[in-house]
Amino acid sequence: MEGRSVVTDRMGGARWRLTALLPILLLVGAMSLLVAGGTPLLDLVGKRAPQLDEFDIRRVEFRPGELRIRVGNPQHGKLEIGVVTVDDAIVPFRLDGPKAVPRLRSSTIVVPYDWTEGDPLTVGVTSSSGIETTKEIAAAVETPRASARSFLGYAIIGFLVGLVPVAVGLLWLPSLRRTAPGWLAAFMALTAGLLTFLALDALAEALQLQAALPNAVGGVGLVLLGVASSYLALTFLSQRSADRQSGSDQTVLGGLALATLVAVGIGLHNMGEGLAIGSSLALGELSLGTFLIVGFMVHNVTEGLAIAAPMAKGSRVGFGRLSALAAIAGAPAIAGAWIGGFVTSDFLGVLFFSAAAGAALEVVAEVARYLRRSVPKGVGSSYVLGGFLTGIAVMYATGLLVA
Amino acid sequence: MASAPLARLAWPRGAEGTHLATHAGHDHARLGHAAMIGAQTPAPGGPHDLDALLYPPKPLPRRAGRVREYTLAAVDRDIEVAQGVTFPAWTYNGSVPGPVIRATEDDLLRVNFTNAGSHPHTIHFHGIHPANMDGVFEVIEPGASFIYEFPARPSGMHLYHCHATPLKKHIAKGLYGAFIIDPPKPRPPAQELVMVLNGYDTDGDGENNLYTVNGLAFYYAKYPIKVRRSRTVRIYLANLTEFDLINSFHLHGDFFRYYPTGTTDSFEYTDTVVLTQGQRGILEIDFSNTGRFMFHAHQSEFTELGWMGFFDVVD
Repeated sequence: MEGRSVVTDRMGGARWRLTALLPILLLVGAMSLLVAGGTPLLDLVGKRAPQLDEFDIRRVEFRPGELRIRVGNPQHGKLEIGVVTVDDAIVPFRLDGPKAVPRLRSSTIVVPYDWTEGDPLTVGVTSSSGIETTKEIAAAVETPRASARSFLGYAIIGFLVGLVPVAVGLLWLPSLRRTAPGWLAAFMALTAGLLTFLALDALAEALQLQAALPNAVGGVGLVLLGVASSYLALTFLSQRSADRQSGSDQTVLGGLALATLVAVGIGLHNMGEGLAIGSSLALGELSLGTFLIVGFMVHNVTEGLAIAAPMAKGSRVGFGRLSALAAIAGAPAIAGAWIGGFVTSDFLGVLFFSAAAGAALEVVAEVARYLRRSVPKGVGSSYVLGGFLTGIAVMYATGLLVA
Repeated sequence: MASAPLARLAWPRGAEGTHLATHAGHDHARLGHAAMIGAQTPAPGGPHDLDALLYPPKPLPRRAGRVREYTLAAVDRDIEVAQGVTFPAWTYNGSVPGPVIRATEDDLLRVNFTNAGSHPHTIHFHGIHPANMDGVFEVIEPGASFIYEFPARPSGMHLYHCHATPLKKHIAKGLYGAFIIDPPKPRPPAQELVMVLNGYDTDGDGENNLYTVNGLAFYYAKYPIKVRRSRTVRIYLANLTEFDLINSFHLHGDFFRYYPTGTTDSFEYTDTVVLTQGQRGILEIDFSNTGRFMFHAHQSEFTELGWMGFFDVVD
């Protein structure tokens, strides 16, 4: 009797699975019908609009006596390179890649050209159908090539704007340890305010970058994907650490684990920042002076404070752990500068910045949960409110240095 | 902290503050105008493709009662106007500009026009003619025909174009051509050439992307015009460029006599003339030297967007 019922259940399960497959089978059938007789069907509602025939000019490199223009095809049909112009003058060129660029593929146009250093320049690529896509370069500067020298250069820039200020900020830890609990809550709230600022900043950056991407790959969806994946990844990580953490409260992170999360969030942001600096340098859009580097350092030193605050209570944290935290939060700026300098991809920029926004938001939620449990008056305490606002204000004020 | 050396680390040695970036070992042969002569010029078309537009029909001495008959059809046609770029043109007889129409003063000009295109068109001639031959009110629908008939007057260099609306569109699409009326007493013999200046707005933004002589960008750079030093070169020049206020013609290495509209004997001795749309004239060049001489718009932008060519002057 029992055995029979199990068999029935299995068959029921199989039937259930088959039923679940039915919509998929129907969808495949409908799609094949549409593909087989598609064009006449769509013609019922009128002619299809012609293709835009616009190129995606991804990167313009300046070499001695030469320009290299990388163009992509963001549309469905193939896109053929016709005429190439520099500052509204037709120029001879050769191709490193196909002349008729397939969908989502790219080709590099090599133009012998006597460009003038420091001057703005506009390149134009006209399709065989006569549609011209242009890209303006703010100032022509020789594009750094991947050499040991430029590799080191970007590393130093990333090191200075990322790692150094974070490490310096972490040195506030001993002072924080002697701070009264109320003030400590204020510093934790400051961390949250600061991260909220970073999240908004990264989100704005991501939205701005995606708007410049061609329709086929851009879109707010890409930003949401980046934000959601990093937010959920960090939620998963914090859950895992909370499970492993000993203590009465299993769900709220504190101490080193929370500091690590903060460091990860800040690290993602600094990667985006490094990417932005690196690509701006490579594209000649940024003149990196002393003032700007100092600005980034002041702006980022508070990030070290943000990492230190959760560790102010509880057991001592060793030098090795602190160095690791500084590396997690600061070193990504170096990687970002390399990517930005040598690859310069707006697509990657969107992904990094939206991931940074998601991570920062998750850490804000984590800090808020911590404050709600550990501060007597919860998040409504004047220390917390004041600290949060101060965090935002500090980021805004120091942000003016790099604007 | 010394930031300048720091920032420079990201660039190759010496790039900042020197001109290394702009002069380091590039291939000069491939730069500048040298890259725009002969076979390597990015111009569309074969060596004799524009002969019918460059060399006008022979002039005929005046003879009372003669009829000069031409047949023109408006046709939609995709033309490769610059190397690799196709323009969906509206043409007279399949080319932009349309065929050269030539008559002697007081010949009866008869133009049989058929509209084989997809839009209504007309032919509007510059010159003296009855109101119902003006190509403005008698709009010829696709598939319809019309016969323009009037005595050719006055002698000079003229032009014709479509006057259907939207006017700007019909001209920008390529419906125009040169119209020469010879004086009763023929001009002295010369090597005669026709040059119609135009532009193409290939992406429809109301600005020209290309400029040409006789319809193809850089064509006469790829195939220089061969002329003899011993004989006068006579150019019938007209400007049909849409969107831009003016166009111009500039000759290198010599001067020419410029007869505005070609209607009188008075001329200016110059090397540069400026024309608005519809303006035209006759140039006479007696080359002093042999060799390769450039001619182009003296608007550098037009020059570098296709309106540039060469004379090969030989003995």
